[in-house]
Amino acid sequence: MSMTASGAPFRLPSWSAVVGQPRMKLALLLAAIDPAIGGVLIRGERGTAKSTLARALAGVLPPRRVVEGCAYSCDPEDPWRCPDCRARLAEDGRLPFREVPTQVVELPLGASEDRVVGSLDLEAAVREGRRVFQPGLLAEANGQVLYVDEVNLLDHHLVDVLLDAAAMGVNVVEREGISVAHPSHFVLIGTMNPEEGDLRPQLLDRFGLCVDVEGLRDPAQRVLVMQASDLDDARERDRDAALAKELRRARALLGRVVVPPQLVRTAAAIALDQQVVGHRADLVLYRAARARRALRMAQGDGDEDPTVSLQDLLEVSDLVLVHRRRSSGSGGIPAQAGESADSSEPAESGSLAEASDESMAAAGADEVGDQDEGSASEAVSSSVGADQEGGASTGSPGPGRDTEVEVADAAPSGRIQLPRERLRRHGSGRRSQTASRDHRGRYVGATVVEKTTDLALDATLRAAAPHQRSRRSQHAKPPELAISLERRDLRQKIRQRRIGNLIVFLVDASASMDAEQRMDATRSAILALLKDAYVRRDRVAMISFSGRVARTVLRPTASVDLAERQLSRLAVGGTTPLTQGLVAALEMIRSERMRDPEVLPLLVLISDGRGNISMRGEEPLVEAQQAAAQVRREQIRALVIDSSRDHLSPSSPLPMPAAPGGARLAGYAFNACADLAERMGAQYFGLFDVSEQGILRPVAEALRRSG
Amino acid sequence: MSEYRQVYPFTALVGQDQMRLALELNAVNPAIGGVLIRGEKGTAKSTAVRALARLLPELKVVKGCHYSCDPESDRLCQDCQARLGSGENPLPWETRRMRVVELPINASEDRVVGSIDLEAAIRSGERRFEPGVLAEANRQILYVDEVNLLDDHIVDVLLDAAAMGVNVVEREGISVWHPARFILVGTMNPEEGDLRPQLLDRFGLCVDVRGITDVRERVEIVLRREQFEADPEQFIADYAEQEDAERDRIRRAIAGLEQVEVAREVLEGIARLAIALEVDGHRADLVARKAAQALSAMEGRPRAGAAEVAAVAPMVMAHRIRSQPGQRPHDVAEVASRILGEA
Repeated sequence: MSMTASGAPFRLPSWSAVVGQPRMKLALLLAAIDPAIGGVLIRGERGTAKSTLARALAGVLPPRRVVEGCAYSCDPEDPWRCPDCRARLAEDGRLPFREVPTQVVELPLGASEDRVVGSLDLEAAVREGRRVFQPGLLAEANGQVLYVDEVNLLDHHLVDVLLDAAAMGVNVVEREGISVAHPSHFVLIGTMNPEEGDLRPQLLDRFGLCVDVEGLRDPAQRVLVMQASDLDDARERDRDAALAKELRRARALLGRVVVPPQLVRTAAAIALDQQVVGHRADLVLYRAARARRALRMAQGDGDEDPTVSLQDLLEVSDLVLVHRRRSSGSGGIPAQAGESADSSEPAESGSLAEASDESMAAAGADEVGDQDEGSASEAVSSSVGADQEGGASTGSPGPGRDTEVEVADAAPSGRIQLPRERLRRHGSGRRSQTASRDHRGRYVGATVVEKTTDLALDATLRAAAPHQRSRRSQHAKPPELAISLERRDLRQKIRQRRIGNLIVFLVDASASMDAEQRMDATRSAILALLKDAYVRRDRVAMISFSGRVARTVLRPTASVDLAERQLSRLAVGGTTPLTQGLVAALEMIRSERMRDPEVLPLLVLISDGRGNISMRGEEPLVEAQQAAAQVRREQIRALVIDSSRDHLSPSSPLPMPAAPGGARLAGYAFNACADLAERMGAQYFGLFDVSEQGILRPVAEALRRSG
Repeated sequence: MSEYRQVYPFTALVGQDQMRLALELNAVNPAIGGVLIRGEKGTAKSTAVRALARLLPELKVVKGCHYSCDPESDRLCQDCQARLGSGENPLPWETRRMRVVELPINASEDRVVGSIDLEAAIRSGERRFEPGVLAEANRQILYVDEVNLLDDHIVDVLLDAAAMGVNVVEREGISVWHPARFILVGTMNPEEGDLRPQLLDRFGLCVDVRGITDVRERVEIVLRREQFEADPEQFIADYAEQEDAERDRIRRAIAGLEQVEVAREVLEGIARLAIALEVDGHRADLVARKAAQALSAMEGRPRAGAAEVAAVAPMVMAHRIRSQPGQRPHDVAEVASRILGEA
């Protein structure tokens, strides 16, 4: 699982042989100089040397000191020790240590929880009857680098464990009959391809720095990449060794670096101006700028001023802020216009990036990426702004309030009766079986099964324990074992994964929704579903489409509050890019499925079905039909709520014969929405026909069908 | 773990007055029933909880008792009762500082409620109970970081114990009960999902924390944090005096708590407020009374009045208001000043 220079399963890549990517390199080096910065997240497409560099970091990290014989590699100097070292120190008055290379410990996506946090030692238990803790990856990573490739695809429960450890620097284990707490300080490095889904905000914030990487744009550099494999390996290794020396020097110099008070002030002002969440950004800015200064000093090109300069700060600020800017998801702190003279200047991210010299190429790439995203979030935030001008931030005035009344009247909450999709805890459940097959998920209990494939050691021992005395007297057990186990003692682990339903609302926000209070009805329908999702702890997401694009208004979240807030801010107007909406929904669901194949998505389309913006240059209607067919092909459950139909019995949709040619000719003459529903394999309803109950029942049924 | 770890001093925290107040009120009167701290990332939620440990009062506990029984209580654990029965009367006791016991979110049920002692069972065939986190947490603070991510079955166990003040264990041939009264403190980031309403109601108080938007305060946060990390011992020494003063204040408040009067009009004010806000159940009334009383005790006042009730009302009431998605929540502070002003 870990790679050392000597014992690697394959050769460690050389850091110096990686061409370009100065921002990524800088971020990794800064994190290595001051582990308190909190690690690096690298986002980018495939084949941009993300993983190579992360792994190559091992080759340039200075060695570290560890207590001899300590299972957790305690730092002899750190007063915060594992229980064993504390005991040893108390007894001997000293702790022998030695210097060992620092490794990059890799956390594979498929790792089981017990391998990560540690578990009961099987051998010690069975042979000696002793309860011994077998340390896991979090112990191995102590004092080192913990690397997670495709970190956005990591199982939720492993993320929880990582967050806990990263936050406290300690791994607390209270499971499988074991109670241990040991230090687990690591530099967390994650790489991810954003196309495959987002990172949970909580984990995102744990990464001190973040870089968005792109492929090299300069042909000359690409040639270098191609030649890199022929490079003189020994020379690259020498350069790595030299860099390792620099890093060691930089670490030693860190304590000498001075951060002038006005720069701390500037850092705070920048963080505020960029509307970052919480206070961590300020602290990371401070530390990263200090590490930048230390690195400069250590590089020995004559710049030995120990005072952090504005340039140092600006150079790192994008690394600190790029992933912390408040997304459209939460309510905004109003931007503070230029708190002080020095804060207003570096406000723009563009100018920040330009200020740093080495980073031109990478920063340029950043900007491109940012703008793509920016346009969407800008649109959302401008509509947010409009709402707030209108008064309350919790809901749009006028119509919003009507909706609330309507919902409150129509909906005594006790009437909701939906199947619970929360995981069953008994071992025979469909899902637990699926889960135990791949040994993924959180271990929550144990049970007896016919054939044990995922042994719950602690439960097995506990089951056997009361019988030891009688078994001992009855028959002789093999002398080398401390415990007599019988088949009936065996217990299977019950694992639980936090999955379940994901309801993706795809909402038409075009001008046609403005008529006849359609948007109000839509809001109230979605609110009814949200209320239900709240009870059942489903996750929800929302995509709206209008003008020429689809926007992800809400990424998959379990927070109904957030969904509600976004819903109240949904602005209406423009044309109907229906296909774009469907494609966006498909992409979202695909990426969620990639993270967790067992997720149960439900697509709820609310529209009049009259797309009028082409995506690929074909007739909009035909494109939408193709996208709808794709929904069915990917076996996504769907509901279509037709906003243009006033009254229609849900049981009798009236799709017209739907040849593509016919559609083109017939235009709006046939029921476009019912036709889409048919192609999706979805149920079809008229918007004004669905009372709250009317909408809940089909959702319940749709969810039950698959569950 | 927390015993030998350097803890950031409570009095060195910048801002977040509501959160600090809610934590201290619980230290003064544990019967208030804990705090839930909701807030975005990086707002010193966890730091504050861990820092609180240093300000907590000392407890009298029976020597050698796994559950930190109070020697003066009439609700002793089975072990202590047995010791009394065997003539060990009075039970020997010692004083210990109240602690913050952490419940990691991936804890398994056997370690939370306690289970059969494996080694004892295997080696000597003895069926002995090994206490779990709930035993350790008796009369202490039980802290759950990211409480909204806690597994449902662990939440059930917690709710059971919190409701009865007792942990009943019936598993693996073991049949034991022991006292489990604890101050439940939870932190969560609402973006990661909501809390089950039942669990939400268990928390006596609830505060929402936000990032500070004042540059000067933010600078102060960074500078203090840096000083602390550069030389924790020095930093803690620098704040020793303030910490001592705060500890004293809490100790005096505990001593004076019983004497603080809450007049009948004030209780009526609380009741009217709860009705106006349409809060669920009666727990809010009880908690409001205790919290107002504790606040007066901390401020050294002989009686709790409308001002104290108004000060604690948001943290007592806001999370108990029956809210449906789509409904505009009451502004507790505003309603409180109106209702209590009338009184």
